[in-house]
Amino acid sequence: MAKLEKPTLSPEEIVERTESHPMAVPFLWLGKAKVQRNFIFIPFFGMILFSILGYFYPISSPAPWDFWFSYSVIGFVSYSFVVLAAWPLFKLLSRPENYYGEDSDEGGNDV
Amino acid sequence: MMFDFLTSFSPAFILIVAGIISAFIPSSRVRKILLIGAPALALVLINMIFYGQDANTYLGGKMSFAGIELTTIRIDILSIIWGYIFCLAGVLNGIYGLHEKCKITDTSALIYTGAAIGAVFAGDLITLFIFWEILALSSVFIVWRGGPKSYPAGMRYLAMHILSGVLLLAGLIIYGRATGSYAFNNIGIDAPGGKLMLLAFGIKAGFPLLHNWIQDAYPRSSVTGTVILAVFSTKLAIYTLARGFAGTELLIYVGAVMTVFPVFFAVLENDLRKVLSYSLNNQLGFMVAGVGIGTQLALNGVAAHVVVHVLYKGLLLMSMGAVLHRVGTIKASELGGLFRSMPYTALFCMIGAAAISSVPFFGGFVAKSMILAAVFEEGHLVVLAMLLFASAGVLEHSGIKVPYFAFFAHDSGKRVKEAPWNMLAAMGIGAFLCIYLAIPGPIGGMQYLYALLPSEVAGQAAYNPYTGYHIVFQMQLIMAAVFAFTLLRRFGLYPPERRAQILDFDWVYRRFGLSIVQWGNAMWTRLGAVITYAWLRLFGNIGKRLYQVFSPAGAFSHDAPSGISAILIAGMLAATLFIVYFL
Repeated sequence: MAKLEKPTLSPEEIVERTESHPMAVPFLWLGKAKVQRNFIFIPFFGMILFSILGYFYPISSPAPWDFWFSYSVIGFVSYSFVVLAAWPLFKLLSRPENYYGEDSDEGGNDV
Repeated sequence: MMFDFLTSFSPAFILIVAGIISAFIPSSRVRKILLIGAPALALVLINMIFYGQDANTYLGGKMSFAGIELTTIRIDILSIIWGYIFCLAGVLNGIYGLHEKCKITDTSALIYTGAAIGAVFAGDLITLFIFWEILALSSVFIVWRGGPKSYPAGMRYLAMHILSGVLLLAGLIIYGRATGSYAFNNIGIDAPGGKLMLLAFGIKAGFPLLHNWIQDAYPRSSVTGTVILAVFSTKLAIYTLARGFAGTELLIYVGAVMTVFPVFFAVLENDLRKVLSYSLNNQLGFMVAGVGIGTQLALNGVAAHVVVHVLYKGLLLMSMGAVLHRVGTIKASELGGLFRSMPYTALFCMIGAAAISSVPFFGGFVAKSMILAAVFEEGHLVVLAMLLFASAGVLEHSGIKVPYFAFFAHDSGKRVKEAPWNMLAAMGIGAFLCIYLAIPGPIGGMQYLYALLPSEVAGQAAYNPYTGYHIVFQMQLIMAAVFAFTLLRRFGLYPPERRAQILDFDWVYRRFGLSIVQWGNAMWTRLGAVITYAWLRLFGNIGKRLYQVFSPAGAFSHDAPSGISAILIAGMLAATLFIVYFL
């Protein structure tokens, strides 16, 4: 009978666990690249699910643009528009940090 | 007897007197007791005053000033909700700042909180103006606690607030002289002085193009200072608009614009407290639009939104303050992965983010939807579309960007201690209330929030946010926005966080206006030099000529032959005769 090998932690994981807050240790998987990469499926399937539910729970007083997954469209398009607009806006509006000659605009710490 | 004595003074004076006493107390512990105890005591007193009588409105603290009757305390169904939340925020701010040992912050915070409460309970415009000015003067010291680099921002902040005060004073004088009354009730934009007062309130509410003092001053204050500042001035302005200008149609459009434009700036900003300051502007827009609608449902929505907004915005700013306190920076480009070191702070931040994003069972869901419903009921479809767009924008800056870039994203490698216990306690209470006030029924407190709303008609009985379609469609919006975020990140279309100064309308006075003033100053200096030179040259030449004529060595002192004198005299006689006879 094959003996099950006890999973071991890599040196990086040991360091990460040692440096992290004890309460954060059970959640360190949140920082893994694979988890972050695959997180996309949660909102994707969530969006599909609530879009389908929209068919069964129609808005009682709909606006002219409302249909059963209208808020999915509004959310996706509006969000994408805001983020994509940031590219040209950054070029247009960004200046060096000391543009106003007042150093950084970051606040101070408590005393 | 004691009750009569206590109720003859505005509850604000408890805080203001505590603030003055605090200025002379060297012990930080005693000051902190005052900082937490005074707003708690004011809360009890407000409750005692309002529920110690039968009417819906309590009018007290009456006095006569220069022949004008003043009502320094007016506690009614509209003002009491602001009074409660201001006192609660005062207590939370006190707990959050327990670690700080700064006499100026403690004193200013107490006076600032007191002034806000005094202004909310002002029954007349003169009392409002006095507290309005105390509010401005006390808060600027909190801005300056951010260090020397916050000084110019504090001066700009003060200038805007003094301007607001001057406009309010001018407006109330015109209004009082025309109507013969200084009572602070519905004013209306068409009333004499109404436009001036609307502008005064608009400056404090962060109307478009008048909003920059918020993003300029708030992020520059200290960790505790920003949390304190974010509560009072702007929410007081919303109260004054609700009291004086409810139903003013112009405000619907102003509010709609306020919700939309900060969204674009927030996505560009790298300083996460500045992102939240833009987010504050966006949230104020919902409230201003609700005031403009002015129906019972809309005003209830505004009042409920003020309560939950103070809680979740405070929570978000507290969490970012905790990050700044521990890491030493709040730039998104320098942060990331902090959930490893600050898990509680990350959790509280996410609760605040969920509340501002109107996730069901979190604060914003039970409040903001009332405003949207009221906008729809009144048929303002374009405005509704703008508010829906802005709701997706809220998800971008406060719902996703702030928690993601601070606590997740790439690991910045920063390993710090969790926030101090007092910060966690304040955030914990705020997080609990964000959830508790959004949950109906026996385990939640939504009914208590709704019971406080100014209009009983559209209160708990008439509005139920927990309908199937409301939950489903709100979740559609949230899930779609989060999906868009993950998709844009995956394809590298989400702009990276970069250190930069983002230009806003304040460029007009910070750069363009300043350049004009500097140019004018340089021109004046040059002109002065030229004029001085010209004067000196003119007087020099005159003196030189006079010297040449009258000095001992001058022309008049020379010996002249008598023949030449005779010729000169004959010539002058000829000239005189010519003039007399021919001209």
